[in-house]
Amino acid sequence: MKKLIFFIALIFIAATTIAQLNTNLILAAQPPASLSEWGVRREILTYIINTQPGLSFPVIIKAEIKTTDGTVIGTTDLAKAKVFTPGSATTILFAADVLPLENILFTGKYKTSIQRTGKLPADNYILCVQLVRPVDFTPASASVCKTFYLASIQLPILMKPYNEELLDGKIAQTAITFRWTPVVPPQTPPVTYRLQVFEVLAHQQPMQALRSNQPLLDQEIKGSTQYIWRPQLSFLPPAPVVSDSAHDKKKTFLRFTWTIQSLDALGLPVTQTDANGEARSEPIVFFVKPTARKNN
Amino acid sequence: MAIKNIIATVLFFLFFYAATAQEVKEKLNISGTAGISYEGYGLHRSPSGWLGYTPRRPWNQVRFNFSPTFKFGKNFSLPFNLNFAVKPTNFAGPYSGIIKQDFGQYITNPMNNFSVNPKYKWAELQLGTQYLKYSDLSTGDIGIFGAGIDLRPKTLRIKFFSGISQQGINYFAGPPTVTGAYKRRNWMFQLGTEEEGKYLFAVNFAKGKDVPTSSAPPPLTIRPQEGVVVSIVSDLYLEKGFYFKGEGAQSTFTKDIATPLTLILKGFRPFIEARTSTITDFAAQVAVGKKSKDFDIGLTTKYLGAGFQTVGYPYQQPDRLDMTLNTRFNAWKDRNKNYKMNVVASLGRRINNVNNTALKAKQFIGNLNWFTQFNDQWSLNVNYNNFGFQSASGINPFGIKNVSNDFGFNPTYNKSTTKMNHLFSFSYNYSKYDERDVITGLTTSNNTHTAVLTYVPTYFEKEISPDFSILYFYNDVPMAKIKLATFSSALSMPAAKKKLRLRGQLQYTLGKLNSFSSNNNLIASCNVDYKITKKLTWNTYLTTNYFKYGNEIIPNGANYLESTCRTGFQYSFSTKK
Repeated sequence: MKKLIFFIALIFIAATTIAQLNTNLILAAQPPASLSEWGVRREILTYIINTQPGLSFPVIIKAEIKTTDGTVIGTTDLAKAKVFTPGSATTILFAADVLPLENILFTGKYKTSIQRTGKLPADNYILCVQLVRPVDFTPASASVCKTFYLASIQLPILMKPYNEELLDGKIAQTAITFRWTPVVPPQTPPVTYRLQVFEVLAHQQPMQALRSNQPLLDQEIKGSTQYIWRPQLSFLPPAPVVSDSAHDKKKTFLRFTWTIQSLDALGLPVTQTDANGEARSEPIVFFVKPTARKNN
Repeated sequence: MAIKNIIATVLFFLFFYAATAQEVKEKLNISGTAGISYEGYGLHRSPSGWLGYTPRRPWNQVRFNFSPTFKFGKNFSLPFNLNFAVKPTNFAGPYSGIIKQDFGQYITNPMNNFSVNPKYKWAELQLGTQYLKYSDLSTGDIGIFGAGIDLRPKTLRIKFFSGISQQGINYFAGPPTVTGAYKRRNWMFQLGTEEEGKYLFAVNFAKGKDVPTSSAPPPLTIRPQEGVVVSIVSDLYLEKGFYFKGEGAQSTFTKDIATPLTLILKGFRPFIEARTSTITDFAAQVAVGKKSKDFDIGLTTKYLGAGFQTVGYPYQQPDRLDMTLNTRFNAWKDRNKNYKMNVVASLGRRINNVNNTALKAKQFIGNLNWFTQFNDQWSLNVNYNNFGFQSASGINPFGIKNVSNDFGFNPTYNKSTTKMNHLFSFSYNYSKYDERDVITGLTTSNNTHTAVLTYVPTYFEKEISPDFSILYFYNDVPMAKIKLATFSSALSMPAAKKKLRLRGQLQYTLGKLNSFSSNNNLIASCNVDYKITKKLTWNTYLTTNYFKYGNEIIPNGANYLESTCRTGFQYSFSTKK
């Protein structure tokens, strides 16, 4: 009888100690390259913990980022990680909880890359997440892993008209061809390029014109990297400048600045934490020579 | 804030004290320009309810400019620059979509400039909106409303400026959508030594920081940021036109101030603390070359690390290495020892992804412009432009490959008689753009041919100046062929005893897409410049554009008429006799 009681007690203790929580990890296949951006966008990573009734105990989230050959390049510093107790039913966590960057220790070249760029080198990676118990860090759930591909988005570079190109007014008044490089890597669904052309007025800097004028062209182009614009504008020479300044006298050409904004399927910028947050390419200027007449 | 106000006030009074002490007795001279202009825009679309063409100018806009310079003697000047518009028309950047502005937003809106820069000898006080460029890698692209100094005693250079480059703007879903922005404070400082045309050595510091609580609701897609950049600039100009220019910079940038502090990453204390979104990277640029009257050559290299980011150049694209070789030379002298030939060429290579955080992309850029004046009658301009872009494409089977080639050929013939001059100019451009599909690997070619013939008669004894041109444009890409034919003529003439200058242009374009019926476009425009007095002019520009589609869109035959009227007075004044 004693043996039976001891055996039952042993089974109960074993069952309690190896009791595990059910978890599920959902991760975007091609998340943003800036790891800090994961924390502000909830759709990137979701970690679901299902707790059985009466089986709730404190846990720590252990996250590991591995290369495809299994080498661990970043892991949670368990000593600093937050201890929490999942709720009685389902607990849903996001990247800010699962992968808190302030507690992730990166190694070697990956650490350097994170420090300099906030990104990991472009490659395929595996993220594994597991719940562990505080103090002894024994597993409290199975490790769930998801593969993801990381590559920083390169915005288009404006190619034609190139910076400070002088266009012939007689040709430009019929058609101006714009070309740019595509967003790299290619996105699915294809990127929508928003092409904007702004007139630079006499007293304006090009950047001032871009940030304050209504665009003469505001066109969305899906997938393609060329657009032929029929300006439907008259490129008569601007009014003569009254000022005596030599700088103003040079303003005989009409000035324009153009840029591309790269948008995703929802119409949002394809990258939100790099540079200006608007996913706008570096704008450049082009000029239009009003007429063929040399003495004008 | 109180300390800054005190410093600004003290500096301001110091300037005026210094100026008035010596110069009050000397003569005051006022010069500059003042102007007001109105722009009206109209758009009528048919059939009623069709919205296929959107307005591209504000319906009404009034702009003012007033730029007087007060000069007290030869050492003290007080230039004002006031340029402002009545209605906001921001479509890009932090003020995008704003309609109602408060006072702070109005004066910092990039469409308005309010500045005064009192200057006494080598000391300049900078107040109001300033577009200050300290260097290529530190700060220079944005206008900041604030106060600062620019001191240049002998060869020393001391500059400091502090202000606001954008105000907090609340997000509004619309319509129209207001993107929203955080208020951004900026500081910049330069200490250096310079002798113009000989050398420059300077250390630059620039900082920008967003105020996270400055907008409610905050922007949806933009995070509050903070950045610091430190750079060292060195320019050297040697004998015989040789020069060397170099700059090295380090930026520390926090992409999201709301992210937690960390000890794992590097900050730049006491200017910026490390957060989990903080990055620190480097940039450098070097230019060497020689400049002379008939020959220039220069090599420029620019490296921007993947994490190099500054608030002074918000649209700068990082993670690249650019190398450009530029040259310009004159050759082939005529009997009068004037050069007949001018060649301008450049070769460039850009590599993206220097830090391996992205996919490797390589670009080649080549430009050539070759002008030859054979004799008094004939000249020829030839230009060639090429760029190529290649990159892997991640999980797709084929890499990206885009190649563009443009070739232009432009002979001009000039013939003079005793009464007039005839100028015939012909221009032909061929453009080929190849794009590879990353899924199928197939390359599509986009070919464009453009030919223009222009005739410009110039009458020696008459005051009318007409010109005529005819253009043919053909673009061929799979599934789409565009043909355009344009006829245009312009006329320029004085009137009212040369007080009035009239210029007009009429342009008709017949367009055709594939086998659809033709579309038609007629543009009429004129400029009337009236010199009311020697110093006051009245400039008016009127244009109207009528476009009628064929059956390439639904509803068939849709059309629109847009008109623009821009008129304004410009006054130039000076008390100097």
